[in-house]
Formats: sequence, structure tokens, C-alpha cells
Amino acid sequence: MLVSHAWLQELTGLSLDVDDVAKKLTSAGIEVEAIHRFGEGLDKVVVAEVKASNPHPSRDKLKLVTVFDGAAEHEIVCGAPNVPAPGRRVVLAQLGAKLPNGVEIAERALGGVKSLGMLCGETELGVGADDSGLLIIDEELHGAALPGAPIADALGLRDRVYELSLTPNRPDCLGHVGVARELCALLGKTFALPKPAATPRAQSGAWAEPSEQLFPLSLPGTPAQGAPLAKTFRVDITAPDRCPRYGAALVDGVTIKPSPFAVRYRLHVLGQRAINNVVDVTNLVLLLWGHPIHGFDADHVRGSRIEVRLARAGERMKTLDDVERALTADDLLICDGEGPVALAGVMGGAGSQIEPSTTRVLIECAYFEPRTVRRTSKRLGMHTDSSHRFERGVDPSAVRHVLADAAARIAALGGGVVRADALDVVGKAVAAAPIALRKERIALVLGMPIADTEIERILGALGCVVAPAHAGYSVTPPLHRPDLTREIDLIEELGRLTGYDRLPTVRPAIRASEEGTPARITLVRRLREAAASAGLCEAVNYAFLAPADLERARAKPTAVVIQNPMTEARCVMRTSLLPGLGQCLREAQNTQQKTFALFEVARVFGPPQKDQAITELPHESHQLALLLWGQRPSWYREDESYDFYDAKSVVQSIVQSLSGHVPSTVVDAALLEEEPALHPKRSARITLGDSAIGVLGELHPDVVSAMELSGRPVFASIDVARLETALLALGRPKAHALPRFPSATRDVAVVVAEDIPAGDVVAALLEAAGPNAERVALFDIYGGDPVPAGHKSLALHVVYRGHSATLTDKEVDAAHAAAQKAAEARFSASLRGRTEKPK
Amino acid sequence: MTDAVAAFEQGLERCAAEYPAAFERAEGEHALRAANARFAGPSGELTLLMKRMPELPGDRRRDLGQRANKLKNEIQEAFNARLSGLAARAREQELSGPHLDVSLPGRGTPAGRLHPLTRVKHELLDVFQAMGFDIADGPEVDLYEHNFDRLGFPPDHPATDMQDTFFVRLSDEEKAAAKSKRPIVLRTHTSTVQVREMMRRKPPLAVVSAGATFRRDDDATHSPMFMQIEGFMVDEGVSFANLKGVLTHFLGRVFGPEVPVRFRPSYFPFVEPGGEVDIGCMICRRWDPKVKADACRVCKNTGFVEILGCGMIHPVVFEHVGYDPERYTGFAFGMGVDRIAMSRYGVPHLNMLYGNDPRFLTQL
Repeated sequence: MLVSHAWLQELTGLSLDVDDVAKKLTSAGIEVEAIHRFGEGLDKVVVAEVKASNPHPSRDKLKLVTVFDGAAEHEIVCGAPNVPAPGRRVVLAQLGAKLPNGVEIAERALGGVKSLGMLCGETELGVGADDSGLLIIDEELHGAALPGAPIADALGLRDRVYELSLTPNRPDCLGHVGVARELCALLGKTFALPKPAATPRAQSGAWAEPSEQLFPLSLPGTPAQGAPLAKTFRVDITAPDRCPRYGAALVDGVTIKPSPFAVRYRLHVLGQRAINNVVDVTNLVLLLWGHPIHGFDADHVRGSRIEVRLARAGERMKTLDDVERALTADDLLICDGEGPVALAGVMGGAGSQIEPSTTRVLIECAYFEPRTVRRTSKRLGMHTDSSHRFERGVDPSAVRHVLADAAARIAALGGGVVRADALDVVGKAVAAAPIALRKERIALVLGMPIADTEIERILGALGCVVAPAHAGYSVTPPLHRPDLTREIDLIEELGRLTGYDRLPTVRPAIRASEEGTPARITLVRRLREAAASAGLCEAVNYAFLAPADLERARAKPTAVVIQNPMTEARCVMRTSLLPGLGQCLREAQNTQQKTFALFEVARVFGPPQKDQAITELPHESHQLALLLWGQRPSWYREDESYDFYDAKSVVQSIVQSLSGHVPSTVVDAALLEEEPALHPKRSARITLGDSAIGVLGELHPDVVSAMELSGRPVFASIDVARLETALLALGRPKAHALPRFPSATRDVAVVVAEDIPAGDVVAALLEAAGPNAERVALFDIYGGDPVPAGHKSLALHVVYRGHSATLTDKEVDAAHAAAQKAAEARFSASLRGRTEKPK
Repeated sequence: MTDAVAAFEQGLERCAAEYPAAFERAEGEHALRAANARFAGPSGELTLLMKRMPELPGDRRRDLGQRANKLKNEIQEAFNARLSGLAARAREQELSGPHLDVSLPGRGTPAGRLHPLTRVKHELLDVFQAMGFDIADGPEVDLYEHNFDRLGFPPDHPATDMQDTFFVRLSDEEKAAAKSKRPIVLRTHTSTVQVREMMRRKPPLAVVSAGATFRRDDDATHSPMFMQIEGFMVDEGVSFANLKGVLTHFLGRVFGPEVPVRFRPSYFPFVEPGGEVDIGCMICRRWDPKVKADACRVCKNTGFVEILGCGMIHPVVFEHVGYDPERYTGFAFGMGVDRIAMSRYGVPHLNMLYGNDPRFLTQL
């Protein structure tokens, strides 16, 4: 909403400081986002009177215009088609002037004739949109616009325009009257509605009785003539719930022509294009009162009848913008005797609009039920200045004075005659109910009491009727404030106009809750911290993506589809974190990055599960996923690539750092089907205790290609809920006493077939080495000569330790021999080299 | 017999004569130990000599034995002295020698990083937790009802335009299975958690929640997915003054107690009185009298930037969750994490936050 400072001053009768207004409004919740300046940058642009106009000696399209600028006469070369007759006044940019559009005026020759300045049009001056020729000053303004007068003064161009960012609860501020009223309340000044003079008005907050449907609309300077309107036009409301009130007035004998400069300029600074006098009035009235009105060409309202009714299913109409609209039985229409002439509160119809030939103007000023307008405008995608206001709620009690004001202005600008009476049809009374306001409640909510005089002043200034009542007041809010319906609304107004900065600041005592923070939330946080400690950077990807992204990553198809996506690239919810991390990797590879180690902890979305509290919601599960690729950081050596074991180590250190328990990786035939994104021979299930908690492996080469990646990325994911369950089952790790006796270590090297897992050999050795074997650790794997083909040599330490005494060499050797023998038997292993004590 | 005596004496004299030079020649511990072994080792000259003591005549054995022992002790002492001398010299050399190349990179896996959004989120949550707030969580895909109706958004009201919403449908077969047809949305704010927690629990409550939220907005300053933190407190006698107290404390902890905080009225359907909070612009700091500020794009020279929305929980919300609005009052607040993260880390473009380029993530 754009608001003119000059207009606010006219309405309040106050001399206001621009910055102060902006500050006051913003601090009251009417946020001033920007202040635009008008009428500046017009130095050396003055009023000039045309003295003579002669043809240019060599150019047909140019004229030599002699003007008087208050000091001297100058000859100006001018190309405009509308150079006026001598005696009329125009706008002269003198030599040295710099126009708002950046043009600097210097002496220059046009067709061989020197021009001592430039005569200007609206667009060059930045005062309007008419670029058809010179701005010719209205003769009515000649009194102030003397030759030589700076144009900004002569035409009253100086203004500031506040750009308001309004919240949807304040429709009253969608017009200058509302902003002026608010400002007066903030400044502690009295505000009076502008008067269209002698028109009787319905009292604010009260509705005319149906018997008062006819009211005289005698306006100053426009003698009422002709037949009473009620006998010419008939208005019927057949949907009174949707249209509680409909007013109409008729102005005869109007001449459609451009509005005077002052009207055009005011519309211009408020961002509106001037059209013609009647349309300009409807816009001006909307900007003044915040109440949309509509002007019909009365001669095109067939059957001299207006009916407000709901559309019939399948009915169609063509709106002003020339679009054929298909209607539903929920749309409210303004119809004449034959069919729709306007989509109520949204837009007029094609066919009955104001045309240059119009002479009789029927003005509509109505109150439409906000939700009706909202639904129609939303469904048809037609957001107009009118629907914007109606859907927020206009003032139903304003119908009469807005109508009177509009009629008076049209008659004034169009030379017409206002009919002696107008119609104000009330289909359904809308009244504001009184609200009980308790002083005690004010103090409780705001944290401090408000003095009675302040309560009365503030609410009164907003237009409320305030009467003392038990424990406080009975407050009847004005109808221009549809947001005031409950006690809390009034308390907010008191806090708002007192100023939040004047309310106290007190830290409350917060009582500890029974429940505390759920363990899952803490676990997720610790997982993230552990993953970062393990050397990974955290990614945050969008939760939505394209179905093809899921397909390429061989993730489950989604069950959760966005109905109104912004782009097809983000139209379903993810079922896996792999596509997101994969895309990060692709971009890293495309930007020549050499290493990649990212993780993400986020939710994936699946179909609803039976045990959910709300059965129709998708199932959301937290996952930790990581993707490693490229050079593993190492110490100033040629780097090696990340592989399975790096990911395994990361997964283990993450889980271990938060629980003390170390997960394992096992091959599981079912994995292939369950996680087709992983390499069939280079992947594993992650288990913790007895539970499967996730998967780990290189990406399947086909997935690497499909995702347009290169190399051998390694992916792992852990299901947080499963991890949580597994950790609960395992409990906390338990501490043991430290050993009291020294250990003894023996090494062994066994040659086994390639496909025998080292873990099996370790486990077998540990078991066979007897109760004194403390641990077995692999320290080398070797293949190639002299190890036979298809085999590998594993070198291991076996650590022995007695529980109740130091072991003798003999005891250790005996246990070690047994272990070796068992390994040989179990894996058909051959022992390489001799068994030895490490040095 | 005298031959044996003479040989013994010669042996002693030779050892005594030679060991000092031998020790002196040894320039390192290893050489010194070898030199020592030559005299005093298991097969050293002196050791061997002393093994032949029984061959000496009885009347000389005692004094020659004493001489041999004395020499042995001398050698031992000389060895020790030389050893510590060498060690001292080595230490002296190391201490005065060339410096370790500390420019070489550290060894091992460098630590990773939490995403700046996560770090800010944790930091903010910590402040609230320290004040006594619990943390709670809710689904990202939720009922329209939780996102709007129960928060008091009037039906067909333009207030819903403030939050352009993604609607969700389950894929056809899931839809067939679901019994009810209540509309589902991607939550547009974390206020859904407020509703859910209030429905689930009874006052007193002080809860804060953080997470992803979604709106149909995608431009230089809006991401269709973004992070929010939401909090609320409900108890008997909670006032707007308490709202100001909690948020002023919070903002002081996060941005520094010197940064000005400004409360001004605003509108959200689920709070009343509703407000927004501005803090002094951290970019130009024009509120600081010591700072001469230039034109500032971030605060448009106002000196303030909006940081959060807040207000007293609307009685209609209490009615919708079954609390008695006469008995309980409360406040709620919500803020975007993205903008705080961007200003905190000077992130120039919003899309960097969700681009996850490792070169960005490792900067911070």
C-alpha cells in the first residue's frame, strides 16, 4: 500500500514530519518499508507562458516556440504536437536543468536553430505517464503557476510516498482515511472523517434499517434533478449472506475526459495510471477510503436492474480483461436484467464498463462477505486491488459516505448531475458485538496495568465506543476494524498503541517439565557431532527431488508426492539420502575437487505405517548417510583413494563415540535386493549387537554411471531408530578391572584361500588359543610370490595373558601351537615361516 | 709366579692408560658403549684380567684385587661421566640445532564440520535449553489442520497467503489405503510442533523446536526449504513482559548484550498481541556510537534487521488444543535459522547454504 504524505496532511489537518510518521507507523505495526520522494530534481524547471509559435525554417515536425519565463522571452525548438495557443502555460526546463530521467539541458541547435531550453511532457518530468506531448498547465492553476515559478511549487509536486507493508488483519489501512485515523491515534490527535458535505451519513457502526433504503443524496454544487433513482433502477440481493449490503448512485450527463492534473498526479505518485475522469475517481475513492467501488455505464445495464446472486453451475462471463471465466455456484455475481455484469468484488464485466461515450454512470458501493471474494479470487487466480480489500474486510458502514463522495467527485470532474436519491439495500445487518474488557486481564497479558484514561483514549481514537462495565469496560469496536472481535484483540491494541518498548521486560521462572527432551533428539544431535568428529562435513539437502533422481540411485519409489511443486525437479519427497549426496559429489567432481567426505542426517519419507498416531501421514525416519570418494587425506604422500574400509572406520568411530559399542559389517545375501544401489561384492550390512542398523558399500558401477559420477564412491547409511533400539538392547558398556599380569605375544602367518574372511581366521585363532588368549590382531596381508595363486598370507599377533599369574613361555607356546594347529585344520591353511616371538 | 703378577700389573696399567682415550674418542652412545665393553664388558680386557685373579700368588691377590676393583670403578665412573656428557651434548645440539619443519601438515584425518545451519541451530537451542526449555520435534509432512486450523488461521483468510504452501498427496495406492482424506502439507513453519506438543502434554510447558520448513518461494532471499526455530511457554500468569524477558536474554546471549533489541507490533494469526523483533544490524552497526557507518544494503540504513516473530499465544489456539485460556497464558516465537547463519558466517548467497559444496563447508 502506497500512502501520500500530502494526502495524510490534508486528511489530518496536521503538519507532519516524514521520518516521524514513518517511525510512529512502524512502531505501531504499520511497517513503512520505504519512502519515495516526488517533486525533486526539478531545479531550473519553471512555468513558462507561450507567447508565439512559428514553424521551424527547415523541419516540418518542429516548431519555434517563444515563451516567457518570468524574466525574459526565449525561443525554444519543440517537437511536441500539442503546442498550445499563446497565453497558455507550459513547463520549461531552462539551460542547466537536469531532469529526473537524467537528461541535462544544454544549449543546442536543432535543424540549425538554437534552442534555449526544452518544453517538457509528463514522462520527462516524472509526474505522469502521458508521453503524447507537452504538459499544459490547467488554466485553473494559473493563479499559482505564474511564469518563472518553480514547477514543483507551482503544481504542488512535492510529496513523499510511504510504502507500507501491511499485515492481513489491517484492511482499514488499505485506504488513506484508515492510515490518517491510525496516525491521529498514535499522535494523540482527534481525527474526523472527511465530509462529502451535506450528505446524511449512516452512523459509524450502525446500519440503515431496510425502510431507510432510499436516502437523499443531495450534494453541494450539483443540484439534484431527474427522477428518483429507485424508480429507475431496482436492486435485488438474492444472496444476502454473501452480499449483506449494496449501494448504488447514478450520475447523469457526464462527459468522459482526462482528469485535472492534480488528480492525475496524485494517482501517479500512488502508482496508478490515470485513465479518464470517471475511472480516476473510482481509483481515487478506493485509495482514499480503502473501499472499492465500481462504475458501470448505466446505459449498458440492461433492464435497469441489478441483481446480486450466486452464479449458476456452468455459467460463464467475460471480465474486463477480456478473459472468458467459467464460474461455479460459489461465485457471487452482479447481474443486470439479462446476465452477469461483474464478478462481485473482484472485477467488472466486459460490456458495461465506462467508455469514452459514457454519459450516465451507475456507481456501485457494496459490502461483500470476505470469504466469498477470497474463494472466487483464489480459484480464478484474479488478485485485484478490489479483491485484496474485500477479502480482508471493508467497512460495511462506509457504504453511504463512500457512495456520496464518489458521486460528488464524478459530478465535479465530469460535469454531471447526481440523482436526488440513491439506493442502499441492506440484505443482512452486520453489527459489531460489544466486547467485555477486564482491566485485570490487561495487566496479566501485558505485564503491566494501563491507566483508565489511556484505555479510553486509545480505544476511542481507534473508533471504539467505550463504556464502563463490571471489572472494566464494554467496548464496541468500529466496523472498519473487523479484526477486533475478542478481548485479546483490544488488549493487543492497548499494548500496540502504548508501544511494546514501554512494556516491562521480565524473565520468567521456568518450571522444569516432567518429560524433558526426548532421547531421540539428543541422539540425532550426537550423531551429527560424531560424524563431524570422524572427519566428515555435513550436507543439508532439499527434502524434495525428482522421481528420476530416486530411480537413478535405485532408491525406493516415493509414496509422497507434492501436488503443487515449483519445479518438476523437486516434486516428490526423498526416500533415500543417496540422491542428494550423489548430486553434491557430482558437482564436486565437475569442479575438479579431488576429495569428498560428506554426511547428512535427515529424514526420508515412506508410506504410512500401521502404528502411527495419525494414519494418513507418511512415515518419516531419520537416517545418517555418508558418501566418501577420492583422495584420502594422508601425510605429504601420494594420496590413496577412499575405500570400503575408510567408510567402515568412520561408521565404527561414529557409533563407538556415542555408545562405546562397535558395529560390525557382515555379508548378507538379502542385501543385494534390499540395497541395489550398492556393489554386490563390495558391500555389507552394518550390525550392532544382534540388530541390523544400516548398510555400507561401494556404489554399484551401474549406479555410478547412472548418477553421472566417476570413480568408486563409498556410501553408508544408518537408520537412527534402529540404532537407538540396538543401543538400548546393548545397554551401556561395562568397565573391567585392568590386567595385573604381563602379556606375551606370539605371531603367526597363515596362508589361506582368498575367499576366507580374515575375521573368520581371527575368530578361529582366538577360540583355539584357549582361555588365556586375550586378542588376535591382523598386522599384514600379503598375496603373490611365494604365496600360491588364489591364496593370501595373513600375519597375526596373538596376545596371551594369564588371569591369575604370569604365563610361562612353555604355557604360551603350548597354547599357540594349539591355535596354529586348529587354524591349519579349519582353513586348510599352511603356516608360512616359523612361529616366533616378536622381538 | 712373578710373571703372572707382572702380566696382571701390565694389564691393569694398559687398561688404565687406554680407557680414557678410548672413551674420549667415542663420539656417540653406541661407540662409548663399545669402548666400555672393550674394558668392562663381559669379555672386556679388565673383566678377563680379573677372571685370572686366582692365578695370582696369595700375598699379592689382595692388593692387586683392590687395584683392579678400583680401576673398574674408575672406568664405570668415567663411562657414566662420558655418557652423560655425550647426552648433554646431544641435547645441547638438538636444542641449538635446526628447527622441526612445522609447516608439514598434521597427520591423520582432519576433523569434519557441522553445517553452519546445524551449528547455529545447536547454539540457539543451547541458549533456550539453559533457560529451562525442552526440545521437541515433529514431522515435516503434517496435517493442514496442524499447520493452519489449530493455530487459528481463519478459513479462506488471506493470512494463509503469508505462507504459500506445498500440498502433498500420497501416491495412488497409499491414498486408497488411507482412511481419511484430511489435507496434508509440508509444514510451512515449526509452529506445528507447538500444536502437537500442546495437544500431547499439559502445562507448564517450555518447549523449543528446530527443523526444516517449506514454502513455495524460491529467489535470492528465499529458499523453498529453510530452517526454523520455534519456541513457546505456557503456564499460569505468563505475560508479554515474560516474552520480552526471554527473548531479550536469548538475543543478548546469541548476538551480544550490547546489540539493541526492538519489539514492534505485527500480526500472526496464532499470537496476540503479536510482534516482530528487530536487532541492531550486525553489518553496519550504526547503532553503535563508536561506529561510523556507511550505506548498508542489509538494513537499508535503518540500523535494524528483523530477526524473529513472536507474541502471546492466541486464546483460540488454547481452545483448539483443549487448554483453558482463562487459566493459562503463554508466548510463542519463531525465527529463521538461515538468515542468522548467513549473517554470522558472512555467507554471500543463500544458495551456498543448500549447495553443499565441500569447498564452502570446509571454509567455516
